Amino acid sequence: MLAVELENIWKRFPGVVANAGASLTVKAGSVHAVLGENGAGKTTLMNVLAGVYQPDKGTVRLHGEQQRFTKPADAIAAGVGMVHQEFRLVPTFTVAENVVLGAAPMRISKADLERQVGELAERFGLATDPAQEIWQLSMGERQRVEILKALWREARVLILDEPTAVLTPSEAEELGRITATMAEDGRSIIFISHKLDEVTAFCDEATVLRGGTTVASSLDVADLNAAMLAELMVGQATAVSQRRERANTPGEVALTARDITVRDLHGRNVVDGVSVQIRSGEIVGLAGVAGNGQRPLADALAGLTTSTGTIKMGIHDLTKATPNDRHRRGLSYVPEDRIGVGLAPRLSVTDNAIMRAYRLLARGPIIDREGAADFADELVEQFNVKVARMDQPIAGLSGGNLQRLLVGREVDGQPTVLIAAQPTRGLDVQGVAAIQRVLLEQAETGVGILLISEDLDELLALSDRLLVMHEGHIVGEFDPDLSTRADVGVAMTGAGVA
Amino acid sequence: MGWRLVKRDTPLPGGQVRAFAVGLLLALVLGSILLLAAGHNPLSTYQRMLDASFGSLREISTTLDRAVPLGLAGLAVAVAGSMGLWNIGAEGQIIAGAIAAAWVARLAPDLNGFSLITLMLLASVVGGALLALGPALARAQLGVSEIITTLMLNEVAIRIVRYLVNGPWKDPLSFGFPAAPELPDQAALPDLYQRSNIGLLIAAVVIAVFGWLAARSRWGYELRLAGSSERAAQYVGISLKSKVLTVLVLSGAFAGLAGGILLTGSSDRLVEGVGGGFGYAGIIVAALALMRPSGVAAVAVAFGAVQVGGLAIETQGVPAAIADILQGLILFGALTAAVFGNYRLVRGSADADTTETADPVDESAGTESIGTDLPGEIAGGPA
Repeated sequence: MLAVELENIWKRFPGVVANAGASLTVKAGSVHAVLGENGAGKTTLMNVLAGVYQPDKGTVRLHGEQQRFTKPADAIAAGVGMVHQEFRLVPTFTVAENVVLGAAPMRISKADLERQVGELAERFGLATDPAQEIWQLSMGERQRVEILKALWREARVLILDEPTAVLTPSEAEELGRITATMAEDGRSIIFISHKLDEVTAFCDEATVLRGGTTVASSLDVADLNAAMLAELMVGQATAVSQRRERANTPGEVALTARDITVRDLHGRNVVDGVSVQIRSGEIVGLAGVAGNGQRPLADALAGLTTSTGTIKMGIHDLTKATPNDRHRRGLSYVPEDRIGVGLAPRLSVTDNAIMRAYRLLARGPIIDREGAADFADELVEQFNVKVARMDQPIAGLSGGNLQRLLVGREVDGQPTVLIAAQPTRGLDVQGVAAIQRVLLEQAETGVGILLISEDLDELLALSDRLLVMHEGHIVGEFDPDLSTRADVGVAMTGAGVA
Repeated sequence: MGWRLVKRDTPLPGGQVRAFAVGLLLALVLGSILLLAAGHNPLSTYQRMLDASFGSLREISTTLDRAVPLGLAGLAVAVAGSMGLWNIGAEGQIIAGAIAAAWVARLAPDLNGFSLITLMLLASVVGGALLALGPALARAQLGVSEIITTLMLNEVAIRIVRYLVNGPWKDPLSFGFPAAPELPDQAALPDLYQRSNIGLLIAAVVIAVFGWLAARSRWGYELRLAGSSERAAQYVGISLKSKVLTVLVLSGAFAGLAGGILLTGSSDRLVEGVGGGFGYAGIIVAALALMRPSGVAAVAVAFGAVQVGGLAIETQGVPAAIADILQGLILFGALTAAVFGNYRLVRGSADADTTETADPVDESAGTESIGTDLPGEIAGGPA
């Protein structure tokens, strides 16, 4: 009996084809893994199943019946529940109140409500206290409340979008037991994941997406191994990437970070004892599936998040330095969030251009307006940022222009080390080329670069050394000249090299 | 099918002036409907308002006198607002400033005029700043919403002044009227012209200096940066905690000064109603100035004129409520106009493609804070 049949699903967004004929079949009473790298179209496909998006083409069948969902409520009524990565709970409501929110019986006492929710939780082994308020709960407990919400609405098909990303290992094991209980009850669970060990431990079958299409459907997880899976996920290089000519002599050590550990709000070590060394003139690539600690590591190096460990640049110990002091010592940072961290959306092009230099452009307490305007003009011209007016808020600029402005500002004044997080993500072909060219030029002039990217081709083409991060650890180092996408892909799933 | 708001790539130039003008026009049109319904001739009523506020030098001096507390309270709100903070407590801070100034006059009634007034005004600055200190610390250290704390302290300040003028500071010669004793004669701010006093100059200088600093200094740049994005400010090493603390305390100090000038300039004694609602009106002034400190002076004069004109038509038999409604309409119209400075109204169906473009972005956009976002949005006009 097939619980879910998605056939030939197409979904286009302006400029992007998210699903190009993807399909998925899930048996009733099974746990089915959906795998694929970032941008493979997993989330879009799941949103089609959950009624969030309407497909341009393709059919959706549930338990053999064709469905046309025009809104999420239709999918919920048809028995599809989805637990998003970002939980959708009211922090000051109790567990029971959140579970029944919008689907509560007309007249019911608080005690009865809590009893009913408690019974439902017990039936599926979802240990929770229905009377507790959400803000008091751990992430694992909140996730159980989300699952309870779906079960309360009698979901027969439950989609879990990267459910273990926020969980501790023991909470993840607990989740595995819960999904098994639900499957025994005849429900189907779709489990989106990047992690091979979880897939083999918790799931019965797996479907792999790449570039918006299904490249392998309903594989028996028993037949899977790490290399196969990585190959399926990352695929072959699409084109022969232009590898850079590498200088044979690496420069002096520009930055040494030792034993960096970053703890998140829930006490998990999202970066766990990472040590990195960057020499001047080299590009160190950092690969990894999103959410494995790359972002907090970059933030820790730039001084934007508290961390333990030591960070040195030359003779200077920057462990306790502020972000500004680190920048003065030559550490530049292109953050993953261009707008909101790297750039201030409501400020003008000029104001954004001088974010690093405004202290130098000030005479006493007053910013020299002409100096600032000249500085901004020069930056905009040098890095080919297309703007209508310098006093226009940057929120109106295109992604490529924003990134040229940001990268240009960060490499201005010859940094010693540049941390570039996802510098080409979301840009068009020319935008990518422009940013990559700047990075290569900077390396040429002796800047040491830490390049964090989810684009393996980019990393293999640009890096001198390639590090792989998994669950907060550096799990492998590769020579890009001697490595394939598959080698790196295996390490990214956390298998093989450990 | 229907109308939709679409954000402009670049805001309309001259938004601030245009917003006020359009708001005024809208208010006058809507107001004339009200006036006609109430049996008054709108044109002669408006003429009367204009005469009362700008008719002669004497009337202008009345308007300017009114603009002083409005401008200082507006500056207080706008300075906080340019960083995305809401100081709703200007009313309480005005009262605290007036209490502090009155206290100085009680302690040293025999000082000469210059020293006494100087000390009283300095005390009012400290008084306003002190009332803002609690909310500032709570916001900077613990992230407690300054909107709630400053608002609640208004009530505290009102209770304190009520207690003082009914209790320990009550004038025994006031025939049971709740008021503090008259201030010494030399504590009155010297007159400037007719109804205006030196307070006008003090306020003008303070507003000009801080308006200029906010627009041109490193300090002002950091405020705008933090107001646009806290994380961007952190990214360049600006300490948000100390910024929040200094800005809110400074905001309280401006409002406190307004209280000091109200006491020494327009009043001869401390009474319960010393705040006069200027603190709340200051929020409106700051909003109309699009949270830009450099814009509060002009708005304060215009708003002062509306208030003076409103009072004048009450004496002609126009109900006070209509005068208040007119003020409200002007604010409403101007804020609406400010929105259209940043958005365009377009007609058309929200066709499939455009709505879906918004969807994938939706999830990340939804995480932005709402509470502190508004002043920034208002400030999103042309620089």
